[in-house]
Amino acid sequence: MSFGQLFLGVLGGLQVTATVTAYGLLFAIPFALVFGVTQHLTSGAARIMITAVIEFWRSSAVIILLFVFYYALPVFGIRLSATAVSALVLGLNTGAYGSQAIRAGLQSLDKGQLEAASALGLRRQHSMLLVELPQAVRVMAPTFVNELIQLIKGTALVSLVTLSDMTFQAKQLAEIEYNPVGVYSALLLAYFVVCYPITIFGRWLERHTGGARSLSGEF
Amino acid sequence: MSKAPISEIETGEGNKQSKAIEIAGLDKWYGKFHALKNIELSVATGQRVVLCGPSGSGKSTLVRCVGQLEGFQGGTIRVFGKRLDGLRQDASRGRPFAGMVFQQFNLFPHLTVLGNCTLALRRVLKQPAPTAREIALHHLDKVKVREQAQKFPAQLSGGQQQRVAIARALCLEPRIMLFDEPTSALDPEMVKEVLDVMTDLAKGGMTMVCVTHEPGFARAIADEVVLMDEGRIVEVSPPDVFFAAPKQERTRQFLAKVLQ
Amino acid sequence: MNFDPIMALSCVPAILGVVATTVEVTLASCLGSCILGFGLEMARRSGVSTGYAARFIIDFVRSTPALAWLYFLYFVLPRFDIVLPPMAVGIVGLSIYFSGYLAEVFKAGIDAIPQGQSEAAKALGLSRIDTMAFVLFPQMLRNVAAPIGNYFISILKATPYLATIAVPEMLGRAFDIASDTYRYAEPLVVAGVLLLLLALAAAQLVRLLERKLAHPSRR
Repeated sequence: MSFGQLFLGVLGGLQVTATVTAYGLLFAIPFALVFGVTQHLTSGAARIMITAVIEFWRSSAVIILLFVFYYALPVFGIRLSATAVSALVLGLNTGAYGSQAIRAGLQSLDKGQLEAASALGLRRQHSMLLVELPQAVRVMAPTFVNELIQLIKGTALVSLVTLSDMTFQAKQLAEIEYNPVGVYSALLLAYFVVCYPITIFGRWLERHTGGARSLSGEF
Repeated sequence: MSKAPISEIETGEGNKQSKAIEIAGLDKWYGKFHALKNIELSVATGQRVVLCGPSGSGKSTLVRCVGQLEGFQGGTIRVFGKRLDGLRQDASRGRPFAGMVFQQFNLFPHLTVLGNCTLALRRVLKQPAPTAREIALHHLDKVKVREQAQKFPAQLSGGQQQRVAIARALCLEPRIMLFDEPTSALDPEMVKEVLDVMTDLAKGGMTMVCVTHEPGFARAIADEVVLMDEGRIVEVSPPDVFFAAPKQERTRQFLAKVLQ
Repeated sequence: MNFDPIMALSCVPAILGVVATTVEVTLASCLGSCILGFGLEMARRSGVSTGYAARFIIDFVRSTPALAWLYFLYFVLPRFDIVLPPMAVGIVGLSIYFSGYLAEVFKAGIDAIPQGQSEAAKALGLSRIDTMAFVLFPQMLRNVAAPIGNYFISILKATPYLATIAVPEMLGRAFDIASDTYRYAEPLVVAGVLLLLLALAAAQLVRLLERKLAHPSRR
């Protein structure tokens, strides 16, 4: 097979990559919003518990978490598809990082906004939803783009739990074709082709949102 | 010879120049902004020149050009006859002809006071460590911070830090000292100690170009006071003329505003 | 419930037994990625064409998953007659992957140094190399210490990837136990918990380091 054919072969897994990413976002975005906001607003025992949950999902090794859920959940009687488990684990991990970004965004806001909102008679929840959160999101937009890229790269792990994403396709092809140089170069190129445009978009965003400092997630 | 870069071409007169600094037709742009417009200025050896003017007038820019921290696009600057290269100020490092003192001191925070002074002595003038130490302590003594030699900049007051900065520059025994608003970042009670050091320096015959807002210093020490505005030189006069009976209307306006 | 806590506890010594490997890999990869990352950042600053090349390499590496690099090196290097033990391959792979991030850390660390420092060095006649070595580099080290500490933790969490290329570290050992005993949940959970504890301990150390560096008094 030519390199081009290998490349297209790897891209055959793009649909699974995209699906897991999309489902992952379904977990990540609500988690980030809910936990980020509540961590910002609460204090004391409630905050400690929220932080513990966030830290669990943020500080665990994703690959181990993935295997644990994949193998351990059935033991507890919970049967989920590999896709669902992957989306859950990757999504909550990403969401945990995202919650920190939201919290950083909320903290960076001008206190004057909050005062103006309460002067206008808005209750805290409303001011949060209508005034603070949109601004926080706009400020941290470049960070969210980074998190999205981390999520997409994270989906490579699902190849280890039998899902046929791009990495899985590459391993299959490598066994059939016995051309590891071609196959794995194609794999790297495939991820590059998917993620790099998003990186460019993120940089464009950074320029157009008043140059917010983009804090990258750890990976 | 035609292949030689423009940097530092010696003129025939060389060391016999009594002009320490000669600026002719100097033009500088920051992108589209015309920062220095056709500047003509001479500073004789041993002369003290004070530059003043409103912010944005280009006085700092001018001093930085002479100190080779900035480039320039048009005109010439000659220092003791040697012509400066406006385009490649990165080119020649090595013993500087002018010492520079900054508004923000710019001491190296990770080195002691002594270390700040000996670094260039060892790396630029290639002095062995004991000699460098001697020279540094000598100059630190002259600015009266010798006892602080083992301390770090963060442990010193602003006035002490600036005096160390002056000593650091003097260690290389430059022929000219350039000051870019040396007291502007200091609390008022520390301004005097720095000005005293600069006054001593002047009494010792050092050629000095100083950007400052301190009229007292200008009156006491300067041979000439230069007013700059919007990138141009407005007036060059001795202090008694400048402050009492300025030649230009613009100078009068400036003095009225500044000397409330 | 089918989860056997006794069995789980019995896995602990076996998995702890390879902690040394995990830590070794982390330290070596951290060093490797710092060296590569610093080199990339110096290349980026040193000229127009090297700048573009370095920028592209950084972007390429950051757009690709660590797993893909591990597979690439593991299968491709032997084809070029470079035979390395799996652990070395893993270290090289993680070093390459994280070099993209460390390059950004060094960039930020150097940019955070006030402009006046290099101006003062220039005014004293110091050469570019001397300025870098004696003025900028020491200050940069102070700025990058904490971020590098955080990436140390990220690298720690990435060491389980090496299980996919037959390196005897914690996840690999967990799978060994699993294939012997046919019980997957327990060894995986133990590996996950132990790694999480390691990561949290490392995080505490980094926080201590941050606090020490933020304290203004020196020596």
